[in-house]
Amino acid sequence: MFAEENGLFGDPRIKAISDAIRVVPHFPKPGIMFQDITTLLLDPKAFRYTIDIFVDRYRDKNISLVAGVEARGFIFGPPIALAIGAKFVPLRKPRKLPGEVISEAYVLEYGTDCLEMHVGAVQPGESVLIVDDLVATGGTLSAAIRLLERAGAEVVECACVIGLPLVKGNWKLNGVPLYVLVEPRLDDLERTL
Amino acid sequence: MNTHKILFNSNVVIQRFSHSGNFVNPLKSPTPSFPTTCQKYQPISASAPPAATTARHHFHTYSSSSHMAAPTSDDDRISRITSAIRVIPDFPKPGILFQDITTLLLDPVAFKDTIDLFVERYKDKDISVVAGVEARGFIFGPPIALAIGAKFVPMRKPNKLPGPVISEEYSLEYGKDKIEMHVGAVEAGDRALVIDDLIATGGTLCAAINLLERVGAHVVECACVIELPELKGRDRLGDKPLFVLVS
Repeated sequence: MFAEENGLFGDPRIKAISDAIRVVPHFPKPGIMFQDITTLLLDPKAFRYTIDIFVDRYRDKNISLVAGVEARGFIFGPPIALAIGAKFVPLRKPRKLPGEVISEAYVLEYGTDCLEMHVGAVQPGESVLIVDDLVATGGTLSAAIRLLERAGAEVVECACVIGLPLVKGNWKLNGVPLYVLVEPRLDDLERTL
Repeated sequence: MNTHKILFNSNVVIQRFSHSGNFVNPLKSPTPSFPTTCQKYQPISASAPPAATTARHHFHTYSSSSHMAAPTSDDDRISRITSAIRVIPDFPKPGILFQDITTLLLDPVAFKDTIDLFVERYKDKDISVVAGVEARGFIFGPPIALAIGAKFVPMRKPNKLPGPVISEEYSLEYGKDKIEMHVGAVEAGDRALVIDDLIATGGTLCAAINLLERVGAHVVECACVIELPELKGRDRLGDKPLFVLVS
């Protein structure tokens, strides 16, 4: 669900966050309008709003662990975890985590990729929030959900700064709700300055 | 809609953000330069660092320019942080004792203490930008930046950042690597803090310092959770102060 349709209608922070995101056309390849959150990170107020909105939503939901998807999930996940007193677990590309891991493969447009998590990071029955900067096809988040569920966790929600429903009106991924602050923009010409 | 104008004219892209963010006019593309402020790379010795496991239990070290009497609570926090770090032998290859901070992140009190110790040190130092090195610097940098009201700038591996970037090459034990920063993210006169989870030889931190100095920022300090002193990264940083919690 979009934040604005879920209690934050008209909240000026949402517009500030959307305005702070930069669109870079044709990256990493032609036709892709890349939603660049680095400009959001350069605006301390807007970055603060982003974290505050997520923290307000999740602080009373008894979440014991926040999982962040490498690498931009590492930017948004830890501040949320720290504010709600939860553990943080990084979900990483292959061979980055030392020691014992479990892996989950997922499909890309061409080929496959893999996400890994440390064995023992999650206890069965824990309530978990997954965080990433953006949800597109949902492939990466689906793999993240599967990893956490294999470890016995209950994934309460997936939280992303930017995204769209995967199919119109459908805000669930493998049965897990998706919560998104802003939708992707087509380009910067559409923004009102 | 003429998207080519946006794609190839970085001035157009960046200036549209001048009302909301901290971008200023982007630099003309800087010419690449080799590091001048850091010492020449010294190869890592093949032997495992001596007494590495006990070294973890040393208390925090300050850079040579400041010594403060550490209050008891600092020692308790450092002790908990040190205990929370896991050492994995022979990763990523035989002979290396890998300092794994993921177990620190699984201890919310110790993780908060880590951030607090950095925030206490930097909150009154007028830091305007925190630069975090991919990927573990992304975990520690943003909470610090948020707490002190500074911008956060990710320093990334090649081809990850979209749009115009500047890059800095640095030496590895075998071969070279490169880190990149967005053009316009940091302005001349910015006071910068560089964050990473660990300093080993100092090669990556040196490259990060160079990127920041090339755009006219003043690097106030480098801060890491862990230092491996036997690898002499502190020396490689030269006159740039280094602050670590565990070494």
